[in-house]
Amino acid sequence: MRVGLARTMMAAAVALALTAAAAFAQDAVRVASKIDTEGALLGNMMLEMLEAGGIKTINKLQLGPTNILRSAIIAGEIDAYPEYTGNGAIFYSLQSDPAWQNAERGYARIKALDGARRNLVWLAPAPADNSWVIALRKDVATENKLASMADFAGWVRAGGAVRLAASAEFVESPAALPAFERAYDFTLRQSQVLTLAGGNTAVTIRAAAEGISGVDAAMAYGTDGALAVLDLVVLSDPKKAQVVYAPAPVLRGAVLDRYPQIKDAFDPVFKSLDQATLRRLNAQIAVDGEAPRQVAHDYLKARGFLK
Amino acid sequence: MLLVLACIGLATGLGLAFLTHAPNRLVSGRPIPLTAVVGGASLVALLPGVALLAGPFLPQRRSAHRLVAAAAAAFLVALLWRAGAQAAALAEIAPRAARTSLGGGFWGLFICAALALVDAEHRLRLRPSARFIAGAAVAGAILLLAGSGALDQLAIVREYAARRSVFADAVIRHVAIVFGALVPTVLLGAPLGILAQRRPALRAALFPALNLVQTIPSIALFGLLIAPLSALAGYFPGLAALGVAGVGVTPAVIALVLYSLLPIVRNTAAGLDAVSAASVEAARGIGMRRGQIFRYVEMPLALPVFLSGLRIATVQAVGLVAVAALIGAGGLGAIMFQGLFADALDLVLLGAVPIILLALAADALLDLAGERGRRRPA
Repeated sequence: MRVGLARTMMAAAVALALTAAAAFAQDAVRVASKIDTEGALLGNMMLEMLEAGGIKTINKLQLGPTNILRSAIIAGEIDAYPEYTGNGAIFYSLQSDPAWQNAERGYARIKALDGARRNLVWLAPAPADNSWVIALRKDVATENKLASMADFAGWVRAGGAVRLAASAEFVESPAALPAFERAYDFTLRQSQVLTLAGGNTAVTIRAAAEGISGVDAAMAYGTDGALAVLDLVVLSDPKKAQVVYAPAPVLRGAVLDRYPQIKDAFDPVFKSLDQATLRRLNAQIAVDGEAPRQVAHDYLKARGFLK
Repeated sequence: MLLVLACIGLATGLGLAFLTHAPNRLVSGRPIPLTAVVGGASLVALLPGVALLAGPFLPQRRSAHRLVAAAAAAFLVALLWRAGAQAAALAEIAPRAARTSLGGGFWGLFICAALALVDAEHRLRLRPSARFIAGAAVAGAILLLAGSGALDQLAIVREYAARRSVFADAVIRHVAIVFGALVPTVLLGAPLGILAQRRPALRAALFPALNLVQTIPSIALFGLLIAPLSALAGYFPGLAALGVAGVGVTPAVIALVLYSLLPIVRNTAAGLDAVSAASVEAARGIGMRRGQIFRYVEMPLALPVFLSGLRIATVQAVGLVAVAALIGAGGLGAIMFQGLFADALDLVLLGAVPIILLALAADALLDLAGERGRRRPA
């Protein structure tokens, strides 16, 4: 009799705990991010703003690569994460659409598509562009007066001593190096490219900055922190050969319906993150090694988004 | 063996940089040799190392092995102490962003000393409990050193300081996933092993299948499970509410169970195979029933082999959970991959070193349990 009572009470306690956990889980917003530096920064900003607004959160930052996050939010396993507008071209297989090269049109496109087909809401994007860029070592750029991709193309055609460190994806994907080569009319020979297996821009940037293996040019992302700190010149892209990748928060429609105040919390924060600011903040995390949560918190506090 | 370790240790310790100092987390550091780290009063830190060098030339007596073991343990702690002290000294004059990392020389000396300790324990023929105590003593000394703040300026510790709660969550997650996979594995694998040992037909069908599963690369298996699990969670919302999902812990646990079944099932069957027919005959002779024979004769005799299989499965699982971080399962692997993507080697080590330590600890604990199992009267 006694044993039976003890067992029933334990079962009741476990059931109560599970229901409580489930209830907590229902209310809490699950915020995720990609496994890179900028994901950590933007994800932590989203967490800070939600918690300051009194909304319970579950931290699922640095969850994995893009495809994992996309399937997770579509399946409803996470509620929010920072994504790039340009990825819409891949999600909907619309790579040939020229709208993606324009920041406003690309954003409008993905917002409309995700809103209609997936009930996912894209809030205001940051006025930054995290697309692929080519960065040159400063002494090489100054010596040959190279500031834009057009100058770079001219230098390569004239036989300049270029050695580009890039990932296999950058070299092969039609949206990356081939897009540059088509737009600016130049070709890099096999011997002029050092192809690495992973898409690790930290490695390529370091290779160019230190001249490892004769590398003087590196593939990078527009908002990479290292670009703010190391002596590299980012070549501008006047012909807009690259798709615009503006970071913006993506939320499940149901979550935004329950907490409409999230829009007012996120919009001003993201609108304040321009290219230079993102590079600076990314540099604090990637180069100075400061804690991503702390960097996000300090920025939000300094700009008055957090009281 | 000790001579080989001494040579390798000496070569790496003197040839490679003991520490590297970089102006920030991203760029390569300038090498700092061992000679720059030990000088003056701190030469005392090298004394255990000298004793280790003398080790191969001492007569092979128990006292010599004890000396080598003690010297190796002391050397491990001394290396960390000097590395931490030098990092602290450099941090006083360098900007905040500068990093002092452990270099190849340090790792060479550290690993050779650790192997010398293991070798000496082996020569002393120490029981698992004694080995466990020795390991715990060294770990305790290192924890004391770390707790006193002596290692705070090493890059790996600075990475830890920047993400304390994330690290704690990751360790808990990692252990939880390993447990969460091993419990179903044992519940499923032990009965399967018993059945397989009694029915040769089942054995002939099951073992090749399990072997085949082992050959599938782990990241491929994780990836293959995503689509069917997502579909399943989509069709049955009840499952989704329970936490079954295409990414994250569910595919990780399922794949881990599949990988861990082989050692458990095979070792259960092998353990039962090893029970002598004479023991079973004797038990039947004194009137034990089938169930009693299994419980009092077969199980205790098969237990050591089963525990050895559990050891293998646990250590394997601890390593595989690291890869599961790529499909959103979290754990220490997530920290490792963050480091890889940011090209911050010390962050990679912050993920990898605890994984190694977890595997060693699990192995030691199960070895201890196995010793207990062997010593219990049948």
